[in-house]
Amino acid sequence: MLPVKYNAGNVLLRWRSTLATILGISMVVAVYVVVQALAVGLQTSSANTGDPRNLLVVRKGSQSESSSVINLEQFRSLRYSESIMRDDQGQTMISADVLTLVNLPRKNGQGEANTMLRGTSDQGKILRPQVHLVEGRWFVPGKREVVVSQRLAARFENFELGQRFKTGPDWLTVVGWFDAGNSAFDSEIWADADEVRSLFDRDSYSSLLIRPVHDQGRAALMKQVEEDKRLQLLVKSEVDYYKEQTMTATPIKWMGNFLATAMSIGAILAAMNTMYATVGARTREIGTLRVLGFRRRTIVLGLLIEGILLCGIGGLLGCLLALPINGYATGTIGFESFSETVFEFTITPLLALQGVVFSALIGLFGTLIPAIKASRTPVIDALKSL
Amino acid sequence: MTTASFILRNTLRNKRRAMLSALSVAVSLFLFITLQVTLRELTIPPEDVGASLRIAVRNKVSLAQPLPFRQLQKIEKIPGVEAVTPFTYFGGLYRNETFTTFAQFAVDPIRFTNVFVEAKTSDEHLSAWIKDRGSCLVGVDTMKRYDLKVGERMLLSGTFYPVDLDMEIVGTYEGTMDDRNVFFHHKYLDELTDDPGTVGTWWVRAGSAEVAPKVVSTINETFSNTSAEVRAESERAFQMGFVSMWGNIQMLIDSICSAIVFTLLLVTVSTMSMAIRERFRELAILKAIGYRRHELLAFILAESLFLSLLGAVIGAGGAAWLFSSIDIQKLSGGMFIFFEVTHKMLGTAFLISMVLGVLAGVAPGWSVCRMSVVDGLKTLD
Repeated sequence: MLPVKYNAGNVLLRWRSTLATILGISMVVAVYVVVQALAVGLQTSSANTGDPRNLLVVRKGSQSESSSVINLEQFRSLRYSESIMRDDQGQTMISADVLTLVNLPRKNGQGEANTMLRGTSDQGKILRPQVHLVEGRWFVPGKREVVVSQRLAARFENFELGQRFKTGPDWLTVVGWFDAGNSAFDSEIWADADEVRSLFDRDSYSSLLIRPVHDQGRAALMKQVEEDKRLQLLVKSEVDYYKEQTMTATPIKWMGNFLATAMSIGAILAAMNTMYATVGARTREIGTLRVLGFRRRTIVLGLLIEGILLCGIGGLLGCLLALPINGYATGTIGFESFSETVFEFTITPLLALQGVVFSALIGLFGTLIPAIKASRTPVIDALKSL
Repeated sequence: MTTASFILRNTLRNKRRAMLSALSVAVSLFLFITLQVTLRELTIPPEDVGASLRIAVRNKVSLAQPLPFRQLQKIEKIPGVEAVTPFTYFGGLYRNETFTTFAQFAVDPIRFTNVFVEAKTSDEHLSAWIKDRGSCLVGVDTMKRYDLKVGERMLLSGTFYPVDLDMEIVGTYEGTMDDRNVFFHHKYLDELTDDPGTVGTWWVRAGSAEVAPKVVSTINETFSNTSAEVRAESERAFQMGFVSMWGNIQMLIDSICSAIVFTLLLVTVSTMSMAIRERFRELAILKAIGYRRHELLAFILAESLFLSLLGAVIGAGGAAWLFSSIDIQKLSGGMFIFFEVTHKMLGTAFLISMVLGVLAGVAPGWSVCRMSVVDGLKTLD
């Protein structure tokens, strides 16, 4: 085994091409980490959403809460079920929500986008404890008032407290901002369900959120909904429902993998170039090592360590370069909701590790051929070369 | 030996390195083109003749909000309106697919053909479609993709509507921007949904390009302060509305492209200077026998330009060839249709490679120009 110090010294000797390779690989890793952080952010946002105690009911066949329709009859058939938990006032803990897409202008003249307007109830607020008010106050039923997510407020016009915007036949006033703890609700505007229904002249709802009494109630409720063929409803744990909303994250992940693959081919070529040059310049040195009794495989291993070290540094640097984007809030269209989805780039330790391992692999593949070639040069030829 | 062959020989002296350098440029430019094509696919603006006269009318609240059917009469009476059709997105799932791979729209068949004049279909197919309320017209791309034949049934389960469609395919069409769509009778949808008296959007064809803007503003004014205010806009503006929804994704793709180009620069500069530094001795000899500085610089620049342009030919040219010869619709599961490499993209790629070639040659060239002959001759590496 060659001492690692020898390899490290060699890496530093040709600092110009070494630096270029390191920087090149750091860019590859940075792009990989950033794109994956986008996908992770989206997934985290949907995985963060919901309360494990709740059940969500939507129409069978609908792909999202916003495209689901629950009519009054369906709502009534479940509303007073024995299996639903009662709150302190003896009210059943069920919220019939109505969701509508509202097209609104983005800030700074960056076009318009759909936003999700959720009409909900007092129970709806209690059932979603992760949503809490950070500014202003909650909307008052009977008034055309809304509370918007703080994150959306940063991205859309007219979302300052006290401002109003027109949608449908009437104006809605922003009376508060909420924070939903990095969940899907961060992409929503909340108002009173009856207000939203009257505003858009809808007599149906979109979804039902229910807190069942204990586990038996939960099972009973699920059985009741599933077995009633007239209802044609789908019941799911709220947490699971949101977790499965991955239509937006999947293509982004796919893109990240594609980019990483293609860029890594380029990076392997670059690493090969560098390693060929360093190996080529050291032919004599390698010959000397052989004379001293180092075995071929020891030399290959040594060079591999050198290549991996070189690229690993690049990988670490890439992760560092990508790191500032962690927590940066961004938004794009959600494929399920067809509305602006706000989320944070999320770099997890696992993702960073993947980046570094990935760069080490680039180093491995880039060095393998030059290293084997170097170790195969006959000792006499190697010693004779200048 | 001519100057050109001297340069070429020098370039190819270390064949492996020349190949690796050209290939790393090629891979990066291939990626660059792929990203640009993807971005264009996501943000494609309709530019055909039909589109410039066509106007989309949706509910001002959002696309998801329906419009009342009674608006039809009023729109028809607006001067400059040639034809108008209801156009309602159904969003059904085909077979057991988990997401919509082609769109289905409920339209009025006769009105539809007057609005979407570029959709070509045979008279036989058209009359069969108009006659039968339970029939549909399917785009050739979808027919091909699912290996469908006229006379087969098209079953779709609704995601927005709580109903399923069961229709007979009576004809095909082609020649539109997107030949994947399925068109069926609005009356059939109304029947299934107990006739709510609403449509998704209206699509209008204006008589001429001159009157089109006026038609847009008249439609908007006609329904302002009614219970269903509308947003009428040209087809292009309507499509751009979708583009703007992508939000920061566009910016992300753009910055990735910059990162790729930057990486490319680093790697190429590094290889070029490696190739030059190896030859310091030789270049010093050239200098000693009377070659001028600018001649040496020209040799180096020509060499690096040659390598990076070779990379561009392989990478960008390869991308153009690949994307025109593969069936992208099939490969991407219907997500992408055109995936066309435009002249502008090719131009950009070649421009990048040229700038790259110059930049990569300048740094080592500069140090060659500055070195003294004696120092150059002393170099061993």
